[in-house]
Amino acid sequence: MFMNQILLIDDDEELCELVSEFLSVEGFDIEAVHDGAEGLEKALSEDFDLAILDVMLPKMNGFDVLRNLRETSRLPVLMLTARGDDTERIVGLETGADDYLPKPFNPRELVARIRAVLRRISETGDKFRGEKIQVEDVEISISARSAKRGGEDLNLTSVEFDLLAALLREAGMIIKKEDLSETVLDRKLSPFDRSLDMHISNLRKKLGARAGGEERIKTIRSVGYIYTLDT
Amino acid sequence: MSLFLKIFLWFWLSIALVVAALTIVHWSTQTEPLVRQWQIFVGEAVNTNSQTAVQIFENEGKQGLEEYLNRISNPERVNAVGFFDGNLQQVAGNEISPEARNLATAALASDVVEMHRLPEQTLAARKIKSKTDENYVYVIQYRRPQQTTLLTEITNRIPQILAVIFAAGLGCYGLARYLSSPIGKLRKATKKFADGDLHTRVAPEIGNRRDELARLAKDFDEMAERIESLLSSQKRLTQDISHELRSPLARLNVALELAKQKSDSESTAPIFERIENESNRLNEMIGRLLTLSKLETGAPDFTKSEVKLSALVENIAADADFEAQAKSKSVRLLENQDCTVLGSENLLRSAVENVLRNAVRYTKEATTVEISVAKRNGNAEIVVRDFGGGIPEEELENIFRPFYRVGEARERKTGGIGLGLAIAERAVHAHKGTITAKNAENGLIVEIRLPMAA
Repeated sequence: MFMNQILLIDDDEELCELVSEFLSVEGFDIEAVHDGAEGLEKALSEDFDLAILDVMLPKMNGFDVLRNLRETSRLPVLMLTARGDDTERIVGLETGADDYLPKPFNPRELVARIRAVLRRISETGDKFRGEKIQVEDVEISISARSAKRGGEDLNLTSVEFDLLAALLREAGMIIKKEDLSETVLDRKLSPFDRSLDMHISNLRKKLGARAGGEERIKTIRSVGYIYTLDT
Repeated sequence: MSLFLKIFLWFWLSIALVVAALTIVHWSTQTEPLVRQWQIFVGEAVNTNSQTAVQIFENEGKQGLEEYLNRISNPERVNAVGFFDGNLQQVAGNEISPEARNLATAALASDVVEMHRLPEQTLAARKIKSKTDENYVYVIQYRRPQQTTLLTEITNRIPQILAVIFAAGLGCYGLARYLSSPIGKLRKATKKFADGDLHTRVAPEIGNRRDELARLAKDFDEMAERIESLLSSQKRLTQDISHELRSPLARLNVALELAKQKSDSESTAPIFERIENESNRLNEMIGRLLTLSKLETGAPDFTKSEVKLSALVENIAADADFEAQAKSKSVRLLENQDCTVLGSENLLRSAVENVLRNAVRYTKEATTVEISVAKRNGNAEIVVRDFGGGIPEEELENIFRPFYRVGEARERKTGGIGLGLAIAERAVHAHKGTITAKNAENGLIVEIRLPMAA
């Protein structure tokens, strides 16, 4: 069986040991490093399928590692943020994390998130190979996982990419929040969970508004979202 | 009235009063001696002239007297002069006024110069006994030298007075500025500091004065320095504590999950469940304590933006309703007017969410928590009402205190932590709003009032 290689970057060595043990039972191959500089080096080595990145790290903090990594690599990154700290979460997602998990986390949740991120990447690769979607000046290529607006690369994270793909496929129609959460985030929408809204807001920022100042993605209150077509 | 205006007006007013007093003193010191000199002159002139007149009358007769009287009655100074015999029959001179005639009668009975001051003239009369023991009376009506009145004195000096008052005004303005501007700067700095800008310092703005105000500014800066370092170290401490507490919690969670993986006994499952719940509760408590301490150390360092309360409340109400349905309760949005508030969406959400979830927790089964948003008196008012039996009247104001519990057992069972309302209160206060609780029939009403965006 093919083992997914996971890089764990966290300065808490005891936690790393426990997580490694837990994840290896779940069928992952873990390598743990305990400082930012080494973590970045390993992450750039292309030996891994996914990195779990803590924010508080010696030598180089998680955000800097992520920023440096994103200059050349699209390695999926799951960020561990301090719970309740919205700024950390927002900065993490804006810098290009694929998902985040507040610390302390439930290990089952961690496994579910890792699987979701990995599945997203492999699935889109197989099912829609070669598929391209174009709506007005926005064009995405499913196989290359790239999104362009007017020929310019948008630099989306994998969650943002999947969100945009889901919205563009149904452009002009309302998509329910519940459906988006299940297809894109791979989990049921729970009350008081704002992560979907946050991803949408980041995606909006990257997409930019239309020439008239109108948002491309509109919120339909208490229902969901719609990718509007230019009238 | 501002301090500046007070200092300015008081000083100016007192200077104006001093100028007025000086004018009066000046006028009176100038006129008083003049009046006295004039009286002395009149007295002397009457003494000599009357004796000369008697001599001339006795030596040269009536003709000579008329000539003499004519000579002394310089029309610029004298209105009339008369000469009477002992029976007050006029012997020579011009016609004199009745007052002068009365004075002549008085003079006949006395041995000194009788004088009488009228507004326009001074009357003087003297009785002279000639060598032949004959009595005569000499009466003269002097034209008074024009004496300046206070009013004319003032009108004459208006340009000078105005110049002095204007110059005094300039001086007072400068003085008031000098005294009050550092106080204004201190006040502004204090306000800024109170509003959470802990970097505020005031001494550099005061300039290089060396007085009490400059020292006060320096003291303010020292105090600000100290408070800033205390607050930042407290902030760091709470962050460190929360991080340090969470690290073992994170390990505990993973270890617990490992234990679950390895244990196949059915009997341990509920215990693991319990450990997990307690760990989650501990974690949530740390998170809320952190939020609370962030809100309490002042410095509401959130970025303000326009928040649509109606959309926010609708979302929260829908989520809370979803959660409540699981406990066979519900949440209904009764009224939702469009209100926009300037502030932090996250803080406002946590305020409303905490109040609403608290209401859902305490409302009785099969009841509906009601929430409404309305504009009232320029405020956005969010009212949350539950049907949970309310709380004792005397406990009402305590429910916003951290870790305050109305009924210990009840709270534990319902899974509360005792920080939700405290966080809500701090978040509302950070937006300069108010939050109050009151009992209603079979329940509690919590009202949040927030100033609306202009």
